[in-house]
Amino acid sequence: MTAVRPSYSATSTSTPIAQRPPLNGHKSSSGGDGIARTKILLLGLRRAGKTSIQQVLFNNLPPKQTFYLETTMRIAKHTIDTVIPLEIWDCPGNITIDALAPLSQFSTMIFVIDIRDLYNQPISKLVEFIEAAYHDNPNISLEVFVHKAEKLQEDDKIENFRQIHERVSDRLLDISPEYEQMQLNFHLTSVYDHSLHEAFSRVLHKLIGSLPYLEELLNVFCSNSQSPKAFLFDTRSRLYIATDASPVDSATHNLCCDYLLMLNSFGPLYKSISASPPRLRQPVPATPPPSASSSASLLSPSSSPAPVTPTTATPLHPSYPHTPSPTSPTTLKSKPKDLFYPSAATSLNSSAPGSGTTLTYHLITPQLALLALLPTSVYETRRGLVEYNVVYFREGIQEISDVEQEVRGGG
Amino acid sequence: MGASGSGKTSMRSLIFSNNPASLASRLGATIDVEQNHVRFLGDLILNLWDCGGQDSFMDSYLSTQRATIFQQVGVMIYVFDIETREMNKDLEYYRDCLDGLRQFSPDASVFLLVHKMDLVREPKVATFDKKKKELQEASGDATISVFGTSIYDESLYRAWSNIVHTLIPNATILSRHLTTFAEACSATEVILFERTTFLVIATSSSSSTTSMPLSLGTDEPEVDPHQLDPIRYERTSELIKAFKHSCSRVREEFHSLEMELYDFTAVLDEMTRNTYVMVIVHDPTIETAAVKLNIRLARRKFEELQGDSLTS
Repeated sequence: MTAVRPSYSATSTSTPIAQRPPLNGHKSSSGGDGIARTKILLLGLRRAGKTSIQQVLFNNLPPKQTFYLETTMRIAKHTIDTVIPLEIWDCPGNITIDALAPLSQFSTMIFVIDIRDLYNQPISKLVEFIEAAYHDNPNISLEVFVHKAEKLQEDDKIENFRQIHERVSDRLLDISPEYEQMQLNFHLTSVYDHSLHEAFSRVLHKLIGSLPYLEELLNVFCSNSQSPKAFLFDTRSRLYIATDASPVDSATHNLCCDYLLMLNSFGPLYKSISASPPRLRQPVPATPPPSASSSASLLSPSSSPAPVTPTTATPLHPSYPHTPSPTSPTTLKSKPKDLFYPSAATSLNSSAPGSGTTLTYHLITPQLALLALLPTSVYETRRGLVEYNVVYFREGIQEISDVEQEVRGGG
Repeated sequence: MGASGSGKTSMRSLIFSNNPASLASRLGATIDVEQNHVRFLGDLILNLWDCGGQDSFMDSYLSTQRATIFQQVGVMIYVFDIETREMNKDLEYYRDCLDGLRQFSPDASVFLLVHKMDLVREPKVATFDKKKKELQEASGDATISVFGTSIYDESLYRAWSNIVHTLIPNATILSRHLTTFAEACSATEVILFERTTFLVIATSSSSSTTSMPLSLGTDEPEVDPHQLDPIRYERTSELIKAFKHSCSRVREEFHSLEMELYDFTAVLDEMTRNTYVMVIVHDPTIETAAVKLNIRLARRKFEELQGDSLTS
């Protein structure tokens, strides 16, 4: 094995193109393409669900098909590019610690336990690995996925989850009292609903160095657009990278995941061979065109178009304007910039009149999308302003992602 | 009608009661006939007779209850389980039912659904074609339409859209008006859905695409400059329905949708009290707000049309 990588705290990068070739048995820790990747270890007994987790999240495998997955025989390393480049090591059930040494190369260790398995075996193995990992790298993130939660009824689910949690903690305490401060996170997951996405999203948050900046951008966006909740999602895996400070409600998260799934499925349905290509992005001309497909210069029909003045690129944390302005200035950069980003909005009625919510989707980078809830009244009357805010938000995120890409040496 | 366990009630549950496919496993055997009055398009009432398929019930339908069951039937939908082990018995019952139908309601349309297609290994088309031939032979000279369906994909929506299409009196007029509307919006296509079931009622016929995906599974090569995906209608029904269900879990009700994607722009909004319209535009200069305005202006005309449809 090659040299150990330090823990990734300050920098992380993203590459725009997602690729997933499995690399088997490579010694190089940088995946062969020169990018420094964050490594995640997927462990567990056989048939616990490790490969199905990786396939469902990153390979779009329908959950019902996971039944047919073959047993993993050797360590499979999957390179995945979300907002940061990842390398997920999917291990066979009988893997030993020596085969994975040094354990310090991993930023996160995910142990998958079948929720019905209350016997000692998985717990002993888990404790063994925890000890070894903690010994090598006390900062490693330890996660336990209590998986296949769909197999049990509600009460049994919670009961088993609690039991597993307790037994692991007890065992660790037996070994050494200092393990009490160990940060061990338990998640109840299932491939059949969105609990897996939520759990993995939380795991991912700990790995993203620029998370505070992303969250801050989201917070500013939410407070200025009157949005009660906004998520930054990775469109392909439907994991959320960041969210604003308000608490995450599972129901809202599920709705957003479903919405994203629907939008992704819609894309190819009405793709026209003859008419679609001309819609694709055009480079920025000197003056912003009046083209309606540009969400940057979108004007609500009732406002009168005033002369638009181009301004130079804004700094990383722009201050959002509080007064409504009738126009939204576009910005010019030295390199040609995409003017058109897909967007969508779904309005939902709720029982109380006048309090409907609109779920908006704006593509930020080819991989990331902003999903924000807005009160329908705000969306309808102030749509132009919201989209103006999105433009600044987008620039912030793009700058962060460009910087990260540079640092990681991506390409 | 159909054999016991073939999937009749689960189809009904999916399409008309808006339950997701995952809940179908909880449905029990239907005892005798379950009658459902389904409101379709607001004022049209569909009287759905879900007939239990166990042998004793089938025998009674064909003998003592013959007149009751087969009189005044508009459409007979016979469901076959593709994995059945008793094909001969199924076919015999089917032939008897066909006779009963011809006796009491000779003008009824017949639709045959070859269900549970998701359980068939590839190649599915070959298996389906074989079955279709078998059924066509068994039907003798009756005109039938055969569809392969599954509750886990969009094929069920396709079959049922075709079925209800025959029940809508002024479908061609609607289609014509939708075409005019499409031209007014510079749209590639306009589709009208029924509100609760999201089955396709009518579509605009732009350029040379036909207005409805034809039954009998004929593959007519369509000279369509856009070459849109042929299963888009039913797939749209399936996707929107699934999303509507997700919304209801958050206790919100889906109202409308608009999207501007790389390949097209689409607006899905209410048209009349009972229908939804979806407008697909490929021209990048068209704003969704303009389309929505057009929909609002066209509403009155379509309400009128719908009112006419039920009196004609």
